Amino acid sequence: MSVAYVPVQWNRNKWLYDAVLVVMVGLYIGVFLNFAPAYQDVTRPVDPQVQRARAFGSCAFFMLTVILCIGPLARLDRRFLPLLYNRRHFGVLTCFVAMAHAGFILDWYFAFSPVPQWNALLSANTSYGQVLGFPFEIFGIFALGVLIILAATSHDFWLSFLTAPVWKALHYLIYFAYAAVVAHVTFGVMQDLQNPLFGMAVALSAAAVSGLHLWAALAEPRPVSDRQETHWERVGSLSEIEEGCAKIGLLTNGDRVAVFRHEGTLSAISNACAHQNGPLGEGRIVFGCVTCPWHGFQYRLRDGRSPDPFTETVPTYNLKLEGEEIWVDNRANSPGTDVEPIVLEPSKEAPHEDA
Amino acid sequence: METATAVLNAVEYWGYAGFLTALVFLGWGMDRVEPNARTSFIFRPLLLPGVVILWPLVLWRWWQLESGRDRPHARHQPPRLWHKRFWIVFACAIPAILIFGLLVRQDGPYERPAVQLEKGQ
Repeated sequence: MSVAYVPVQWNRNKWLYDAVLVVMVGLYIGVFLNFAPAYQDVTRPVDPQVQRARAFGSCAFFMLTVILCIGPLARLDRRFLPLLYNRRHFGVLTCFVAMAHAGFILDWYFAFSPVPQWNALLSANTSYGQVLGFPFEIFGIFALGVLIILAATSHDFWLSFLTAPVWKALHYLIYFAYAAVVAHVTFGVMQDLQNPLFGMAVALSAAAVSGLHLWAALAEPRPVSDRQETHWERVGSLSEIEEGCAKIGLLTNGDRVAVFRHEGTLSAISNACAHQNGPLGEGRIVFGCVTCPWHGFQYRLRDGRSPDPFTETVPTYNLKLEGEEIWVDNRANSPGTDVEPIVLEPSKEAPHEDA
Repeated sequence: METATAVLNAVEYWGYAGFLTALVFLGWGMDRVEPNARTSFIFRPLLLPGVVILWPLVLWRWWQLESGRDRPHARHQPPRLWHKRFWIVFACAIPAILIFGLLVRQDGPYERPAVQLEKGQ
C-alpha cells in the first residue's frame, strides 16, 4: 500500500502465484518443443530455432488470452478474484515470453542481414496495400510494443503518479494488443496452417475472450434512473442490502457509489478503490473497514480513509433514507471527508449472518 | 528501407530524450511530487523503461502536480462510462478479424484460380 515504495511487493500468495505461472510456462514450452515436431510435415522438417519461436509465440498468445479472460470472469463470479490479484505479474511474464519469441524470429530470419535486424524486419515486406501477403509482422510489433509499455508501467508508482483513470486508460491498450495478436496469428501462421489443432485452439481462445467480454458487458448495471430535485438519486431500497454488504449504484454523472450496511448503520463511499479503482462495493468488511477485493486496500466507511499508517482516501457521499428508499447526493465529498452514518431503527436492522 | 531507417532513427531519438527525462525525474523531480518515493531508491531503476517510453506523459503529469493543476477527485473517476460499449465492440472485433483472415486464405472459399503473370521461357 502507501508509506514507501519497494521494487516488488512480494507476499506468500504472490510467490505461489508466480511460481505456478513460471512452472506452467516451462511445462508448455517443454511439451511444445518435444511433441510439436511429431505433428509437422516430415518432408519439410522445421528448424529447432523456428520451433522455439513458435513455442514462445503461441505461449504468449495463450497467456494473453488467459489474462483477458480473468477480468470478465472475476466480474461474473467472485471465485475468480484470486486470479485477478496478481495479474500484473502475469502480464510482465507474458511480455518476456513475447520478447523471447521476437528474439528467436530476428535471430533466425534476419541473422545474416546486411542491415540492422529491426531495419531488415521493417523493410523486408512493405506490401501494406494487399490482403494476401500483408506484412503481418507489423501486428506483432505493435502488440509487443504495447506489452512492453504495460510491463514498464506495472509498478504501483505509476498508478499513483498517473492516477488510476489515466493508468487504466493506458492499460486499455491491452485490448488493441490482443486484436493485433489475433491479426498477427491469422494473417501469419494460419495462412499456411495445415494441421487444424492449432487453428482450433486459436479459434477457441478468441471465442472465449470474445464471449466472456460480451457476457460481462451485458451483465453491467444500468444507470440509476430515479432522481429527486437536482442532486439526489435513488440507488435502491434497504431490503436489497444484507448486513456487511453493499449496493453499488451507477449515478447519472458516471460515478459509482457503494452504499454499505454495517452494524445498524448506512454509509456511502466511492466504489472505486484509490489503488486500481477496484470495486469496493464487492469487498468484505474486516475490522470495520471495507477491504478491496482486488488487492486488499482498506478504508473506513464513515470517512473513506485507510487506517494508519496508510494514507489512501476515497470520496464519501451524503445519504438520506425515505422510508425504505436510499437516496444518494451525487455530488461526491472530497476524498476522506467524514460523514455521519445513517443509524437504522432497530426494526430495520438486518439480522446478522450468524444469527 | 528509407522509411524503416527513419522510423528507427525516430525511436532512437525518442529514447535519448526519454533517458534525459528519466535522469532528471528519477534523480530529482520524483521527490518533489511523490511523497511515498522520498525514502525509496531501490525501486527507481525499475521505472526507467517506463519513463524512457512515456516521457511526454511523465512531463505532463509532473507539470500538473508542480503547478497545482491536479484534480484529486479525478482519481476516483475511472473511465467506466464507455467501458461497456468498448467491451462489446472488442467482443465483436476479435471474431471478425479471425473470420476475415480465414476467408481470404489461399485455400479458402474465395480462392481464385492461379493466373500466370509472365509468359514462361
